[in-house]
Amino acid sequence: MTWWSVIRFLHVTTAALWVGGQLTVSLVVLPLARRLLETDQRARVLREVGRRFGMFTGAFFLPVQISSGIAMALHKGVTWESLTYPGYGRTLAAKLLLFVLVMVAAALHGWANGRGMAMFARSMAIASLVGSVGIVLLATALPVT
Amino acid sequence: MTSVDVRIGTPGPRPTPPTRRRSRASWHARANGVVLAWLALAGVAALAHGRLPAPEWLLIHVFLLGAVTNAIVTWTEHFAIALLRHSEPAQWVRPVRLAALNTGVVSVLYGATHGPIQVGIAGAAIVVGVIGWHVGILAVWSRRALGGRFAHVVAWYICAGAALITGGTLGGLMLAGWPPRVSTMRLEAAHIHVNLLGWIGLAVLGTLFTLWPTVLRTQMADGSGAIARRSLRLAVPGLAVTVGGFLGGARWVAVAGLLLYAAAAALALVPFLRTARRRRPHTPAAWMLAAGTAWFVVAVLTDLSVVATRAADQVAHGIEPLVPFILVGFVGQTLLGALTFLLPVVLGGGPAALKRNAALLERGWIIRLALVNVAVPLIALPVPGRVSQFAWAAVLAALGAFVLLATVTVARARGPRVSPTAGGVTVGVLATAVAVAVALSGGTGVTAQNSAQRTAQLGAGVQTVEVTLVGMRFSPGKIEAAPGTRLVLRVTNRDAQQHDLRLATGQQTPMLGPGQTATLELPPLTGPIDGWCTVPGHRAAGMTMRIEVKGAAGSGPATGSNPMDHMDQMDHAAAGPLNLAAPMSTGWRPYDATLRPAPGGTEHKIEIRAVQKEIEVAPGVRQRMWTFGGTVPGPVLRGKVGDVFTVTLINDDTMGHGIDFHAGSLAPDVPMRTIQPGERLTYRFRAEHAGAWLYHCSTMPMLQHIANGMYGAVIIDPPKLAKVDREYVLVQGELYLGQPGSTAQVAKMHDGRPDAWMFNGTAAGYDHAPLTARPGERVRVWVVAAGPASGTAFHIVGAQFDTVYKEGAYLLRPGDGGGSQVLDLAAAQGGFVETVFPEPGHYPFVDHDMRHGEAGAHGIFEVTR
Repeated sequence: MTWWSVIRFLHVTTAALWVGGQLTVSLVVLPLARRLLETDQRARVLREVGRRFGMFTGAFFLPVQISSGIAMALHKGVTWESLTYPGYGRTLAAKLLLFVLVMVAAALHGWANGRGMAMFARSMAIASLVGSVGIVLLATALPVT
Repeated sequence: MTSVDVRIGTPGPRPTPPTRRRSRASWHARANGVVLAWLALAGVAALAHGRLPAPEWLLIHVFLLGAVTNAIVTWTEHFAIALLRHSEPAQWVRPVRLAALNTGVVSVLYGATHGPIQVGIAGAAIVVGVIGWHVGILAVWSRRALGGRFAHVVAWYICAGAALITGGTLGGLMLAGWPPRVSTMRLEAAHIHVNLLGWIGLAVLGTLFTLWPTVLRTQMADGSGAIARRSLRLAVPGLAVTVGGFLGGARWVAVAGLLLYAAAAALALVPFLRTARRRRPHTPAAWMLAAGTAWFVVAVLTDLSVVATRAADQVAHGIEPLVPFILVGFVGQTLLGALTFLLPVVLGGGPAALKRNAALLERGWIIRLALVNVAVPLIALPVPGRVSQFAWAAVLAALGAFVLLATVTVARARGPRVSPTAGGVTVGVLATAVAVAVALSGGTGVTAQNSAQRTAQLGAGVQTVEVTLVGMRFSPGKIEAAPGTRLVLRVTNRDAQQHDLRLATGQQTPMLGPGQTATLELPPLTGPIDGWCTVPGHRAAGMTMRIEVKGAAGSGPATGSNPMDHMDQMDHAAAGPLNLAAPMSTGWRPYDATLRPAPGGTEHKIEIRAVQKEIEVAPGVRQRMWTFGGTVPGPVLRGKVGDVFTVTLINDDTMGHGIDFHAGSLAPDVPMRTIQPGERLTYRFRAEHAGAWLYHCSTMPMLQHIANGMYGAVIIDPPKLAKVDREYVLVQGELYLGQPGSTAQVAKMHDGRPDAWMFNGTAAGYDHAPLTARPGERVRVWVVAAGPASGTAFHIVGAQFDTVYKEGAYLLRPGDGGGSQVLDLAAAQGGFVETVFPEPGHYPFVDHDMRHGEAGAHGIFEVTR
């Protein structure tokens, strides 16, 4: 148990909370809100849920994940060049790529919500969620080091 | 007017029944959906290629044969219908043609890269057949046509189709490796020219006569028709002469043909310039088409200079660096420009929809146009790697943006919407699939890089093999190909020093500096060929490769030899020299070198099972070892002077084993005796003396039992042993590859010719999993030399020992004032050294007998803060 364990713990925990939070909102909160709440109330609740989760994501999950990820990569001696090597490097590069795509989808979701494009916003939210699960898949595929 | 059909000068649109319009829109949505899918695939292929691409065969063909050929077929038909005022073809024709063409394309791509070569050849035949059918129909239509002012354009399409039929046939012949006596390079030069300048060039030039004024929303320049007819009459013979020149190996004939073609192209572009002068480009599509055409001119001129300055056999090599530039600058931009204009037009839906679709497709066009056109020259010129990577990233970003926008446009026009859930899931799954493809590209990092084990297996025909020089090895180290295969070796030096490849046939690459590439074209394969690096010493150090005829090797045991030995020789030959720089396999765990403090108490009980186990003994190399407890070395025992050890040996193997603890003194014939499979025996010994002791199997022939891995260490702490920050134990042993106990393996043992030396059972294992320490920490390393033949001269590069303890006595202690560089141990001796690493860094530890150190007795201390 070193400080690196703590950093890894933060990285994994925030990822779990972030992906798990998205799943919870999509699979539990939203369907119930749609079923149980009146239209105007529902819109408010959903907006607030989205805003609050977005706040946590932007203020806590992402900064912690990105900084801990960069720290671990530096510690492990990952270089830009090593990201192109088959095996560990490329898996990590793919994970980063997917992370960027998920971020783009999440950003599109927020943008579309703001413009009232509900259907597109919803599809982007789901794309972001599926992509996040893909990130976890790639994380587990990183060869043990 | 925004000419909905391309019909310049014909006043007013022809009334069309609404149902036909809808069916046309739906057809175009489908056909262009296929084009977009191929474009997306080309982007994925470029990404998955890894090092941002020096475009390869697959990428080029996904783009040209997949996206561009589909687009040309769809649009030439569309224009032919519009220009000849022909009716639409029977309803089944288009879907069948689309399916057949894409079946052919997929077969070519799959067959040439992965599958049996026959699939690729059949694919080429299908593509050629479909294009033949397509232009046949166009020919019939244009003969029957009642006129139409622009009917002459269709002649360009027919000639373009004839070019593809020629080029596709040449491609099929190259796959088939036929005719045997014609150089592939000549076929390739002809194939590249007739497809790029003919199929694509003629189709584009022909289309520009009418499309360009339409895009500029102006009238066609006067005299265009006559120019179109005349320039086609020049271009076709020019192209034919060029192809003939290449095939015949006559450079100047090819140059003459190209000059004729260039003249024809210049003539054909006269109306283009006139129109542009009258009405400046002002729409995104117009700018893209203008840029594409400009790069076409540059490409033709550059090509002329390449062809004029090289022998016909070398032209293909000279052109290859130009291909990406032509693909992006000319073909890609022209295609995207045309689609930007045409897609909204054919997708229809009324003026509002047209406007909306056009606006969507034109999003960010200035940035995309600028990015691509800045990138195009950077792709072609010899710029630093980073710049060229930026250029490719810019191109791929522009391509991705267009595909995305066009997909949305087409999907919007197609009608029934998908549910947001399904859409979101699809997007997410696709993104994940792309990422997984990137992750898996280049293999797991084990097979792809382990040259010693890597064998390329190839089918017949012409095959290009990428040969990489890295870590003093060829990768692949062995190429197998069917008899008659004509191999093209593309040799790239990825090492830090100079290398080359010389083949026993006498062919040789120039001396390659780091990063340089050269190509060797071999005659049809008839027998095995050896290859090596001619830099002095490199061949002997293992820089060799071999090309074998598939089916010839291993076709039966060598006569008169015992099958087991034969197999063993094969094993050994296959193993070849070890590549210690290769990565360890996924899942490999180093033997934990950390030495834990002696457990409390004065009695230690331990159970050890003698078992055979396959272990990764060197990067990517697995060997069946005879072990104590499933590891090499066996478990480390530790105690203090006076402690009693009770060890139970259980023999789970199929042969007899025993155990000899140097740390105890016992009668060799009673407790040290050999026990048979299934038996168990308990030893009890009291550690009377301190030291780093060896234990090993005591069964004869001990040479084999030890050499195959049956040894371990017993550490008995000297009294008042000071506490240190870290303690490691390294047991050095020799590695003999091959079937354990076989004649060949044992011969190596007798000769003292190990394949490698190992610390803790893996050659160079701690290069891949360094031992760790921090600056200023005191590190103690216990070393035991297991042999069976050689001892060690243990040394840590960059560090000095202030404490040396060898065979029960301190040779040096801190405060003595002296220092030590090596702990020398004969076979079966042991001791320890202590050092303090001064600063962070990587400190190699080696057996300073360099024969051993450079053959696996090597590891790294990683010292970090």
